Amino acid sequence: MPDIKIDGILIDAPRDWTILDAARFLGLEIPTLCHHDGLSEWGGCRLCIVEIGDKLNPIIVTSCTYPVQEGLVVRTATKKIIETRKVILELLIAQCPTSKTLQDLAAKMGLTRVRFKPKWEDCIYCGLCVRMCEEQMMASAIGFVDRGNKLRINTPFNKTSEICRRCGGCIYICPVCMARCEGVKPEDVICGRCQNSLQPTCIEFYDNYTCWEGLKGDCGTCVKEKTEIK
Amino acid sequence: MNKVQSFDELTGLRNKVIKNIDPNKKVISISAGTCGQARGSNKLIEAFQKALVGNENKITLKITGCHGFCAAEPNVIIYPQGIFYQNLKPGDTAKIIDGVLQNKIIEDFLFRSNGDKFPEMKDIPFYKHQMLTVLLANSFIDPTSIDDYLSVSGYSSIESALKATTVEIIEKIKRSGLRGRGGAGFPTGKKWENTRNQKSEIKYIICNADEGDPGAYMDRSLLEGNPHSVIEGMIIGAYAIGANEGWIYVRNEYPLAVKNVTNAMNQARSLGLLGKNILGSGFDFDIRIVKGAGAFVCGEETALIHSIESMRGVPRQRPPFPSEKGLFGKPTNINNVETWANVTKIIEKGEDWFSSVGTKTSKGTKIFSIVGKVKNTGLIEVPMGITLRNVIYDIGGGGLDGKKIKAVQTGGPSGGCIPSNLFNLPVDYESLSEAGSIMGSGGMIVMDEDTCMVDVAKYFTNFLQDESCGKCVPCREGTQRMYEILKDITEGKGTQEQLETLVQLGNVIKSTSMCGLGQTAANPVLGTIRYFRDEYNDHINKKKCSAAVCKEIVSSPCQHTCPIDTEASTYIALIAHGRFDEALEVIKKDNPLASVLARVCNHPCESKCRASETDEPITIRNLKRFVTDYGLKNNLKRKVEPVPKNKLGKIAIIGSGPAGLTCSFYLAQNGYEVTVFEKQPVIGGMLAVGVPEFRLPREILKTDLEYIKSAGVGFITNKSLGKDFTTDGLFKQGYKAIFIATGTHKSLKLNVPGEEAEGVLYGMDVLTIMNLGKEVKIGKRVGVIGGGNSAIDAARTILRSGKSDSVTIFYRRTIAEMPAFEEEVIASLEEGIKIEYLTAPKKIISENGKIKACEFIRMKLGDMDESGRRTPIEIKGSEFIENLDTLVISISEQPDISYISSESNLALTKKGTLDVDSETLATNVPGIFAGGDIVSGPNTVVDAVAAGKIAADSIDKYLRGEEMKREYKITRPSRYITPIEFSDKELEELLTAKRAVMNYLTPEERKHNLKEVELGLTEEQAVKEARRCLRCDLETENGRAFINETKQKTLVTETQNA
Repeated sequence: MPDIKIDGILIDAPRDWTILDAARFLGLEIPTLCHHDGLSEWGGCRLCIVEIGDKLNPIIVTSCTYPVQEGLVVRTATKKIIETRKVILELLIAQCPTSKTLQDLAAKMGLTRVRFKPKWEDCIYCGLCVRMCEEQMMASAIGFVDRGNKLRINTPFNKTSEICRRCGGCIYICPVCMARCEGVKPEDVICGRCQNSLQPTCIEFYDNYTCWEGLKGDCGTCVKEKTEIK
Repeated sequence: MNKVQSFDELTGLRNKVIKNIDPNKKVISISAGTCGQARGSNKLIEAFQKALVGNENKITLKITGCHGFCAAEPNVIIYPQGIFYQNLKPGDTAKIIDGVLQNKIIEDFLFRSNGDKFPEMKDIPFYKHQMLTVLLANSFIDPTSIDDYLSVSGYSSIESALKATTVEIIEKIKRSGLRGRGGAGFPTGKKWENTRNQKSEIKYIICNADEGDPGAYMDRSLLEGNPHSVIEGMIIGAYAIGANEGWIYVRNEYPLAVKNVTNAMNQARSLGLLGKNILGSGFDFDIRIVKGAGAFVCGEETALIHSIESMRGVPRQRPPFPSEKGLFGKPTNINNVETWANVTKIIEKGEDWFSSVGTKTSKGTKIFSIVGKVKNTGLIEVPMGITLRNVIYDIGGGGLDGKKIKAVQTGGPSGGCIPSNLFNLPVDYESLSEAGSIMGSGGMIVMDEDTCMVDVAKYFTNFLQDESCGKCVPCREGTQRMYEILKDITEGKGTQEQLETLVQLGNVIKSTSMCGLGQTAANPVLGTIRYFRDEYNDHINKKKCSAAVCKEIVSSPCQHTCPIDTEASTYIALIAHGRFDEALEVIKKDNPLASVLARVCNHPCESKCRASETDEPITIRNLKRFVTDYGLKNNLKRKVEPVPKNKLGKIAIIGSGPAGLTCSFYLAQNGYEVTVFEKQPVIGGMLAVGVPEFRLPREILKTDLEYIKSAGVGFITNKSLGKDFTTDGLFKQGYKAIFIATGTHKSLKLNVPGEEAEGVLYGMDVLTIMNLGKEVKIGKRVGVIGGGNSAIDAARTILRSGKSDSVTIFYRRTIAEMPAFEEEVIASLEEGIKIEYLTAPKKIISENGKIKACEFIRMKLGDMDESGRRTPIEIKGSEFIENLDTLVISISEQPDISYISSESNLALTKKGTLDVDSETLATNVPGIFAGGDIVSGPNTVVDAVAAGKIAADSIDKYLRGEEMKREYKITRPSRYITPIEFSDKELEELLTAKRAVMNYLTPEERKHNLKEVELGLTEEQAVKEARRCLRCDLETENGRAFINETKQKTLVTETQNA
């Protein structure tokens, strides 16, 4: 079993694990959106990015797809990673502000502004429904159509599907359809932050959320430290 | 065809093929790749086939792939001499065949450059600096004939390869230093080794021919022109890796490539070079072809694999890499077309030969397609490490129409722009990547001053937002948002915050996207921001697009580029309607020196005129001249109504040149009491003493001066700053603000030995004295040194004085680099002035303190300098002596700042000009402003007028106690003029109409007097010319709205009438 180091913690991870598996095993929180334990990896939302390799010359990879390897060094929450995740989430919210899943992530990750014009779309193309339909329901009734700015999810040729059994699996797993955020307004596409949690400040000092305990600022010590330093 | 069973049989077959070639037979090789066919090579082939009837045994006609020289298509090469004929038409064939039969060179069809003719292909600059290796055979083998390929030792590499062990071959490739030619530059040997070392029964190799970058076509040309070389490389690679199946993934948009490579595969198969037990070696290998539908992302290896597997062409996250888990889950090695072709060459010529070419980390040659704003466009093969300058200037021949090259985009939409000041950069993987670009597949798009870098970034981003597969968020959403922001900026709605967002977004896309497409998608944006941030800032802050490209900012380029915002498009439209009075109103609205500028303006408006893209630009200055002359003839707008004076204070303007006059006019129109102080006895500054009367009649100057005076401006002549008065003194006298516009009236010295001799004069002194009607001592033989307008003016003024027998201008560059107006240069030649180009003075020879002769040296043009002009270099030993009685030095001027000693608190620049805030023209002393040549150095009249306008606005704000800040708006005409509805007949006439030609006095009528040389356009000429205008001012949102409104109105009137 390869030895890897995540946020300074050594772990002897099984060969078929990804970085995300190892991190979750340790209780380290990495936000995900298109990942689902019951489905194949997709690697599309890029929210689960982490840094690997040399600190001076880090490589950003998606933890949900990256296999553990002997000697791997991973940092899950550096300042750069957190800022980058925020930009990605900002892009997602601008696309689909009515998703409660996204709004909750925004509250959790401390995203407070969206600089892009909201598109008010109803899909973020995470591909969960497509994989659900194909891998769990064995139907493949829906799929991606076209690409780039014309990408959409649809049945073949936009015709009512004969394969679809109306199982509702796609709707069940969708981060937009079922989980609607009602609070969002056109003038401010970030809603009331009902999931808002403490925003730790340790990152300002250590370039990293992670403390000795493997927590992410939840202990509040760093916040205290900041006041003292001031 | 019988199958070849062994290596010996193959050698036997090759020898037989070579023996069958008649060495006495001449070959005409026609470039007939897709691009050649598009430019008419098919018709040329037909014509040759017909014309060759009867001579088939003397001449072979060879239809080959692309010869690389796109700008010369369709072209032929005559072998064995290698004579190159370019841009041929079907009618030229008989002449060429005659020439071939009689061993004669037909000069008409040769490549020409700078007056030289180049008969042989190897001497043409485009080919001379290349190192044709992989592309070499393209110009003489028929891609549909395997015999042709065999005759150039084709398929000899597989022999040595199949006899070696797989480890040996991989070692060879590793030692050669070959890196992937598809773009990322991964070491090929290492890639092969990785795949070879995988434990799997089945392995695959793939040839990636999904070439989709705009402006890149090297893979296509190789597959079209020499498909066997790619197949041979694949056989070698498959053997080394242990693959028995290969795939060529080629886009269906390349029908000729598909056809030729399919044909080549069939030929190789029937000869036993593909299939079971190749040449008795026991190695099996065959290739299949897959035609892609043309998605850009399918060039990415994992997407390409998905596409071959009949799935959506979407990448997947690596690792695992294809070498571990590729096509159908098996280890797969993917290389680009050019890489495979290079493998053949490495085995043939040896890895040491290959690694001897190139730089430390990038070996061998690389094919580039050089396209865009460059003379010699085409496909080139050069050694790695060649500089961009070599590629663009030596091979590419430099910019089109002498325009300045600004940047080159390498690597297509995934690459970046490299600015011209980095053109000494060697072309290799590392250097390009350090400069923020990539090698990519080798597209090089050259951009000049007419290219807007923001627009370029927008173009590529638009391509990428469309071609992104959409799987990962940063690439899909990020490229769309980048496009959104770029669109805002190019429409004049952008903000500085958006620019910062753009940079942040670009970095996120780069670092977090799934595949190569996304990881490089931000390069065009980040690269242009890195090197051309000024252009972005100009778009955002100044609503200025210097290339006059961004439609919603620019409206019509003539209005946008005019330094004084003259609405050229509006008055041209009015002239087209015959509404000359209104046209005059429009001109005078922005220009108090309309009649003057209609004669002496350097008309930047015409340089960007849209009509010049397909034809010649509208002769805008001459149209203005027609309207102002019309105004004079009909006594229109000779005066303005003076406005009541305000009580904000008196203003002093120092210098009555165009800057001072303009400033005084607008301030007076604003109600200020303005007094202009002039050193000379006459008003007008450079217009009166610098520009000769035959270009600007004094009567004309007088009418504009009267117009300015009518606004209530007062003038005091013969008063010189520093001598007769000081700025402090002016403030004491109650002047509240001062505008200094004293110009540049001092000629620069040449700094050669003997310059102090009698008879050596300076251009500006000669012009001033003669324009004031005084005498200068001029000898019989006159030489003038310089290439600017003042040198030409001085020469023509001296010629008219009738004192000399000969006037010769000596200039160190050629006519193409001369800064003087082209029409003035031509006129001076017509009048009998001689011009010696590429000649520079070395020393002045005098006798008894008086000039006797001047020693000159011949020059040649060297490399391009920073200004984009080629630097003249002395030719050793070419000195010669020219006997002269008078030498006029007129190389440039500088400001006379002798008065500064008494005004020492004014700050100066290093150039010796006054230092001002470029936005407000305020000097470091409160209340003192400066503008015109005294600030900019020698410059155009229209820029001086512009400075006068800016200063007037700043002074007004200063005296009102407001913040001095310039306001910038997107360019729009103040009113739209309905376009004329042309009849079919009129339209037909317009299609063939040419730019109106100015009427001149004949050289005989003009060269002994001061009569105005240019006579102006007739009314008929002017209206016709104005109708040639494309009315691009109507192409903006506002313009289109106006057209719709007009249509609605006509509809309503028609319905009412009905």
